[in-house]
Amino acid sequence: MPLPTPLQGIRVVDFTWVRAGPWAARWLGTLGAEVVKVEWPLNLDTLRQNRFTVPPGVEPGPNSTGQFADTNANKRGISVNTRTEEGLELVKRLISVSDVVIENFSSRIMQRWGLGYEQLKKIRPDIIYVSMAGFGHTGRHHWYGTMGPAAQALSGLTHLSGLPGAPPAGWGWSYLDDTGGMYGAISALTALRHRSATGKGQHVDLSQMITGITLTGPAFLDKTVNGRQARREGFPPGNRTVWPGAEVVNNYRGPIAAPHNAYRTAPEGYNDWAVIACLSDDEWQKLVELMGSPDWADSRFDTVDGRLEHQEEMDGHIGKWTRTMGKYELTTQCQAAGIRAMAVQSSQDRVDNDPQLRHRDMYVPMAHPMLGPWKFQNAPFKLSKSPARIANPPPMIGQHNREVLEDLLGVTHDELLNGYENGVFWPTTMDRYPYIEEALR
Amino acid sequence: MTSANGNASNGSYEQDGVDIGGARSADLSLPGALDGLRVLEICDEKGQFCGKLMADNGADLIKIEPPGGEACRSFGPFLDDSPHRERSLSFWHYNTSKRGITLNLETPQGQDVFKRLAATADIVLESRKPGYLESLGLGYETLSADNPGLIMCSLTPYGQTGPWRDYVSSDITQLAGGGQMASSGYDEIDVPNPPPIAPGGGNSWHIGAHYAYIGIMAALYYRFLSGEGQYIDASIHEACALTTEGAIAIYLSTGEVVQRHTGRHAAPDMSPAIQFPTGDGGWLNTTRSGTNLTPARLKLLAEWFNQSGMADDLGDERYQDPTVIAEENDHIVQVMKNFFMNSTLEDAFHGGQQRDFPWGAIRSMDEIVGDAHLTDREFFKEVEHPELGRTFTYPGPAALFNGSPWRISRRAPLIGEHNAEILQGELGLTNSQLLLYAEGGVI
Repeated sequence: MPLPTPLQGIRVVDFTWVRAGPWAARWLGTLGAEVVKVEWPLNLDTLRQNRFTVPPGVEPGPNSTGQFADTNANKRGISVNTRTEEGLELVKRLISVSDVVIENFSSRIMQRWGLGYEQLKKIRPDIIYVSMAGFGHTGRHHWYGTMGPAAQALSGLTHLSGLPGAPPAGWGWSYLDDTGGMYGAISALTALRHRSATGKGQHVDLSQMITGITLTGPAFLDKTVNGRQARREGFPPGNRTVWPGAEVVNNYRGPIAAPHNAYRTAPEGYNDWAVIACLSDDEWQKLVELMGSPDWADSRFDTVDGRLEHQEEMDGHIGKWTRTMGKYELTTQCQAAGIRAMAVQSSQDRVDNDPQLRHRDMYVPMAHPMLGPWKFQNAPFKLSKSPARIANPPPMIGQHNREVLEDLLGVTHDELLNGYENGVFWPTTMDRYPYIEEALR
Repeated sequence: MTSANGNASNGSYEQDGVDIGGARSADLSLPGALDGLRVLEICDEKGQFCGKLMADNGADLIKIEPPGGEACRSFGPFLDDSPHRERSLSFWHYNTSKRGITLNLETPQGQDVFKRLAATADIVLESRKPGYLESLGLGYETLSADNPGLIMCSLTPYGQTGPWRDYVSSDITQLAGGGQMASSGYDEIDVPNPPPIAPGGGNSWHIGAHYAYIGIMAALYYRFLSGEGQYIDASIHEACALTTEGAIAIYLSTGEVVQRHTGRHAAPDMSPAIQFPTGDGGWLNTTRSGTNLTPARLKLLAEWFNQSGMADDLGDERYQDPTVIAEENDHIVQVMKNFFMNSTLEDAFHGGQQRDFPWGAIRSMDEIVGDAHLTDREFFKEVEHPELGRTFTYPGPAALFNGSPWRISRRAPLIGEHNAEILQGELGLTNSQLLLYAEGGVI
């Protein structure tokens, strides 16, 4: 018998789209909540249109993108036109039997629908409402729009990433869609504990952009406490803790240390890099020994200030050594010697070459109706009694209309058929997919 | 005009900022969401942020440090640049709202005290090496024997099992293995032979802590349903491996591996640049979709640029045709670049947002501290350090909870600050025991 899930019995109305919001609801679903994603085919979730993730040989369409698939696994999906009176009424009925409402629209949309917190509370007094607008719903710029990269820029995270004297490197993806999403789940779960203890729901007004600021604490305090100029020479120091020649000031990653860098490995392909970090003199001596105690590694490098002073020379020598082997061999050798090192892993490396992720079942196989055999990302934690699970592929758009509308909300079959004819459950201007016809029989 | 190098006083950008009744934080006299939960934390830099998330939400969190304090108290920067284990701003930030005791878990007395504390706890959060606590007789089986509701989360670099479980790590090695570095860096045109870049700020620990918190909250709900606690094995490596957005999905879908690009999404293809310098030395991020121009949006831009005579020919009727816009993309981007170079960062950012372009100023703490929107949300929290007679401004919460306040209830604990309060006051140790424990290296 499968183990129980931790959020059994919790129902989530998921109005989210694109990445941050759906990622939040995805984790609630992965933890066992019943998540109902509410969509409308004429206003498609951007990820249903992601052109990079349609596998070759698969017919493009809203149900055929790998990126949507992983971001929306473990949900059910309905298509309802909330601009019709009947559609809105059904959505309210759904809310009345749900525990959590989550959305990441711009700040005014839910109120425009008559679904602001005050109204939600009337429908369901102990509702937990998580809004995930870029700037939040409170504050003078609540109406500003953000995508991940802009939110990262505004949060100060982008500024912390890159080489001195070059443009900001920032983050090579929407980190604040990932983390904003996790915070959406964090918000819902925190409010759920409050409800368990008090019986009361609440509105959690999350700001994606501010989520990023909360991840810059030491830099923030260096400003407010020490008055440190954030824009300064030699900062940010790339992969190092201090840029050669720059003032020795902590860069907010951890201790000041050297070596602390990315080094080329054989055969010097695009992702043939590994990082080594020696956080103490003792760790440095282990590395010297592993490198065969070369002549260049003399007493100038015995202490961290010496290594910082001669950092370019040291990194040059280390880089010559690392080029003599592959990144995994380097990792294995360093780790066997107690040195902090790791291969720079691409997506391919993580899926195909990482023995740890394989051992931990990070990529769970499950069939997808359009994509065929597929892999879904597992939870990064293992609960001994009520584990997270990958249970369902993502919904095809409108896939669960019948079971949600009829079985849960009590819509009769005739009403359902009627709603398809009059544009409440499917646009009259659009052909229905075969699975929809099938479900209506 | 504001400057990228000065404090952003964007008081002139208040148009349309009407109050829509968003959440206000619940009154501070109310309990936080995790009120009534006791958490024991045995964590260094890997887990302390997860503890902070719980403590600021109202949990009674007792941080258990080795005698002399956790090693991460020696992480800079330090108050007034004066290094000291009680002056680490990093430690301060990650340990708000916690109480602190010192305890040598390698002594029988320390183990006894810990077991007695664990009997009063709802949650134990630890980030020691896999197997370490168990080797001291302090594993989950032992601790939960008389406290079946106990939830224990081990948050470690690679988890409790597998070929890498004993690997040593640091923030940058986690970001290498997790895939953050393979996605972050530069186009050749910006930096020749660019290395992968590990984004700054200690984010591997944040990513691990966020997921550990999710796991703990899920276990709490399960306990609410069943009365049962459980053990959680959380892996920072897995958390990081999950946090590169589309990179894995792209590989699984097409077999393509993403390439790094300056300040924008790593992708299988070469995408257009989206970061542009402004006249005051700042950078504006226009986001990939933010530069998708329709005729209507281009018209808005032209009217705006025209106010400073920088529209060039973009107001021309011929641009009211998507085909022309596509054909003239390079020219349009050049006009935008010229405009940005004649603007300040904050003006370009706000001007864009007010015309519905979801652009972001690349801000540093120089601009973020004091920002008006953040002030509206009461983000800047004053925290008293009574032993210094000083008060400092800390970052507030990402979200406003209107039913259960988030709050920094106290600054980070001093080393062993609550030894007497907890060990004597709560566990009933005598004064002489405390003295003997102190002299014997137990606390």
